[in-house]
Order: sequence, then structure tokens, then C-alpha cells
Amino acid sequence: MGKVFRELIHYMDVTAQVIKMAVMTIIEYPSNIVGWMISNPLQFIMGFAIIKFVVESFGEINGWNYGQLAFLYGLSVISHALSMIFFVQGWFMGYYVIDGDFDRYLTRPLGVLYQFFFTNINIFGVTDLIPGILVFIYGCVKCEVTVNLLFIVQVVVILIGATLIRGGIYILLGSTSFHTRSAVDFGQYTQEIMDKTTMYPLSMYPESMQFILTYLIPVGWISFYPVSALLGIDSAYNAVLVPFITLGVGILVMIVAGVYFDVGLRKYESAGN
Amino acid sequence: MIDVQDLSKDYVQKRKDPGLRGALKGLVKPERKLVHAVRDLSFLIREGEIVGFIGPNGAGKSTTIKMMSGILTPTKGRVLIDGRDITRYRKEVVRNIGVVFGQRTQLNWDLRLGESFELLKHIYQIDQSDYDRTLDELDQILGIKEIIDKPVRQMSLGQRVKGDLVASMLHSPKVLFLDEPTIGLDVSAKFALRKFIKEINRVRKTTVILTTHDLGDIQELCERIIIINHGVMMEDGNLSQIVDRIAPYKTLVVEYYDEAAPEHPRCEMILHDGNVAKYRFLKNDITAADIIADLSKTASIKDVSIEEAGIDDIIKIAYGA
Repeated sequence: MGKVFRELIHYMDVTAQVIKMAVMTIIEYPSNIVGWMISNPLQFIMGFAIIKFVVESFGEINGWNYGQLAFLYGLSVISHALSMIFFVQGWFMGYYVIDGDFDRYLTRPLGVLYQFFFTNINIFGVTDLIPGILVFIYGCVKCEVTVNLLFIVQVVVILIGATLIRGGIYILLGSTSFHTRSAVDFGQYTQEIMDKTTMYPLSMYPESMQFILTYLIPVGWISFYPVSALLGIDSAYNAVLVPFITLGVGILVMIVAGVYFDVGLRKYESAGN
Repeated sequence: MIDVQDLSKDYVQKRKDPGLRGALKGLVKPERKLVHAVRDLSFLIREGEIVGFIGPNGAGKSTTIKMMSGILTPTKGRVLIDGRDITRYRKEVVRNIGVVFGQRTQLNWDLRLGESFELLKHIYQIDQSDYDRTLDELDQILGIKEIIDKPVRQMSLGQRVKGDLVASMLHSPKVLFLDEPTIGLDVSAKFALRKFIKEINRVRKTTVILTTHDLGDIQELCERIIIINHGVMMEDGNLSQIVDRIAPYKTLVVEYYDEAAPEHPRCEMILHDGNVAKYRFLKNDITAADIIADLSKTASIKDVSIEEAGIDDIIKIAYGA
């Protein structure tokens, strides 16, 4: 137990240093900040404006009213932002494999995946967080949810689980590069798919697709199921339990991804000089 | 210290026929070929040795050094550092090693050099007092404090390599791996780097393992060399002994007053150009003094010099040239 605790302290200490360096890097290139501050939130505010337009024209989407959609959309954007902060590097894993950039992580006394993600931590992801939180709060007000301790715990648990699911999927896709030895920038595709399946109710898709998105690629658990349960949209889902299922699915996806990554890493070939 | 046992590494290479047809064929029915990059290497390295790996490009040097430093997983065999398998106990074992790969840097490009050191201090959990002491010590050899506040992106290659060397030594590793450390460096940077390697080896007893194509590196640094070609060990031993065995000759260069250069029965005349003649002789067979004495009986000698057979001859033989 003492050993695990010491390890944890070690990782937290390195993480603090890495975040410090990430902030210093941002300050080094101040002009980038302005661009991101404008373009990132704008992207999601526009997305939400479209939902608003659709709902106002048709009343609701698949039984979800405006406030509920805002709640879903907001929560999804928040977990997207968190995954951008911690796991966006997964999109570029293929390039690291091809260029031999895992070398330096392998010669240091820390986990390779940890170093891969955290030494490349993307503080700019915070700019996605802001529109997410705004829309989410708006949704909470519209749905008149009672904000108590249980609710806060549920939201936090959902967000952790959802971020892990997203991150795990990035790792799974990225790790295929160890086997194919080619770099595919799949970031855009995953982004499209994830946006379309987590920001709108999953129930609007055909059943076969719902099945896939629930059991095979479990993106349904990122936002649709936990929100359905939390807002009581579908009484089949237990409001207390479902957020924890999201967390469980997140941990499971992460474990599978970690194992798959480790298998890939054994096939890692570095790069010639 | 380092125990390498039956180390092998295979790669699967997809063979492709030329042209579109070949590309399509490769897509439908890929032809896989097993490449043995390294085959059954076994050797022991003792604490405080400086060992040079030499061999032509693609011989398997880098693959070997990458397996020894925990980057590549061996197909067969294992590497023990201080008795611990580096593949299996990577995280613990790498605390004892430092790695510098010539063209790659582990320094943060955007920030001042000191920031990269600071991160390593946290990664390797180095005490502030140990950190300060090590940095002072390394500064005396390399003068690193002059550039510690400079952003890495503004550094010359020589400065960056210095930075990388110090970065790899901050946690006082017992073993330092260097993959072509002097590549692309100018003469003074090479000199500084060699001095550094010699100093840390002498003062800190750091074991150094390097690959290089630079004859100067080998001559200056390595008492022991391991020659690898086609993934197989060709030679392993003391540098001067290997030179003596593979190239046991010297060359005598004689400048005469006229063009008539006499032959000598126990030498091979390998060049005769105007007043100058070169004689190659076996070191154990005859001395240069005797040859000069014999030659001066029949011709008048103006000047002589002796060329030692050296590493370049070894390399030529090793590389099959």
C-alpha cells in the first residue's frame, strides 16, 4: 500500500510540473491563445444554435425538449473538452509510432501512456470547456433540476466515466498503428462520429446502430444513457445507478485500451537513425 | 553490470513488387519476410567500461543498443542490467540508465533548457541537493550553465547535444547509452563531447556504451569494441589487440633523393611514386629501423615516416570493403 501511495505522489508531482511547463509554453506563444479563445467556443455555440433552431421549428427531437437537449449537449461538450485536455494526443499516436517518438518515454521510469498523454497535456482544451459549462448550466435551469450533493456527485461520476470512454477509444484507435505501421490521422472522423452520437439523443438512430453504439463502441454511455436516467426521460433507467455504469464502462474501456496498447508497444520498432 | 544473453530481434517486413500491380498484389496477398536484424548476441560488460559498437549502417547496432536500453522488446534472449531484466522490470531498471540518441532530443523545444532539467528532476525524483551538486559537476566539464537559460529551439546542434548529455546524466545513471552522439558535430563540439564521456567515466565510473561511425570517437574513447555486421557479432575485444590481429602491419614511407627506390625482401612495396616509396611490413617480423638500415645501403634516404595500421583498416575489413 505504501508503495502505491508513493507512486501516486510521484505521478502527481510530475503532473504538476508538466502542467506548469504547458502553461509556460502557452505564454511563450501568446498569439495562439487569442485564436483558440475565439474559434473553439464559437464552434460549439454555433452547434448549439443549430439545435435551438431545429427544436424551435419542430418542437422537440425524439421526445427530448429544448432544455433536455441543452443538458445533453452541454454535458457532452464538457466531457469532450476534458478528453481534449488529457487525451487529444491519442489522435496523433500513429505519428509517434512511425517517428520512433516513444523511445524517450520507454527510457524513463514512468508509465509510457501516462507520459505520452501528460507530457503533451493540452491546456488549450479549456477553451472547449467554457461553452460546455454554459450550455449545461442553461440546460439545468431549463429542466429545473434540483442541484444537491447527489446530483453533483452523479455529474462528476458521469464526466469521469465519459472522459475515460473517449480517451480509451482514442487509445484503441491509435494503438492500431503499432500493427499497421502507418499513421492515420483519425481525429477528425472520431470527432464527427462522437459529436453526432453524444450531442443528440441516441434514440433517434436506427436500432441496429443503437446496439452498436451501446455495446460495441460504447459511446451511448458518454451522455445519452446517463442523461436519460438523470432527467427521468426513460423510466427504464435507474437514475442512481446509471451514472456509475458510465464510470464502470469508462474504466473497462480504459483497461482494454491499456492492454491493447501494451501489446502494441511490444511490437514497437522505433525508427532508424 | 550488463549481461546480454542470446539477444535476437526479428522484424516482419512486407515485400512489395514494383508498380501498381505490385501494390495491388501486396494488398490482396501480402508477402511477409522475416528479417533477422540481430542474431544471438551474447556478451558481458563490466562496470566502468567504455564499449564502442561499430558496423555499417543497417548492421544492427542501433537495434542492439535499443534493446539494451529497454526501447525494443527482444524477440529472443534478454538483457540484464545489474542482474535485472530490463524488458520485464523496465521502470525500475531505467532509473540506472541514461540515453542520448544523436539526432533526437529529449529537451523541450519551446522552453529554456533549465525547464527540461527541472522536469527530469521530478521524473527521477532527484533531491535538490543532489541535483545542484550533479549540475555543478557537469557544468565544470561542459560549461552548461552558460546556456541553461537559452530556449532549446535557439541552440546550435552542439549546444543541444550538450544539453541532452547533461539531461541524461542528471539522475547519475550507472550506464550511459549513446547512439551516434557525435554525428553532425563540428570539431570543437566533438572534442567537448569526448572529454565529457572520458570525464564521467573516470570520475563517476559510469559505464558507457556507444555506437559510432567516427574513427576519432573509437580511437579516443573505446578500449573495447564490438563489431556487428548483418546482425551478427564479428569481433569483441580490446581495440589494440583487434587491430594487431586483423591488421598486424605497419607502413614505412621513405623519401629518397632520386627516383630509384630499392625493393626489400621482407616488405611489400605498395606504392612507388617519384621519390617516394611505401613499404608494408609485418610488425612481428621486422622493425622499421632494420628496414631503413637495409635500404640505406643501396639508396640515399632523405626522410622517413611510419603509418600505423589503424581502425580504418579494421572498419574496411568489418564492412567488407
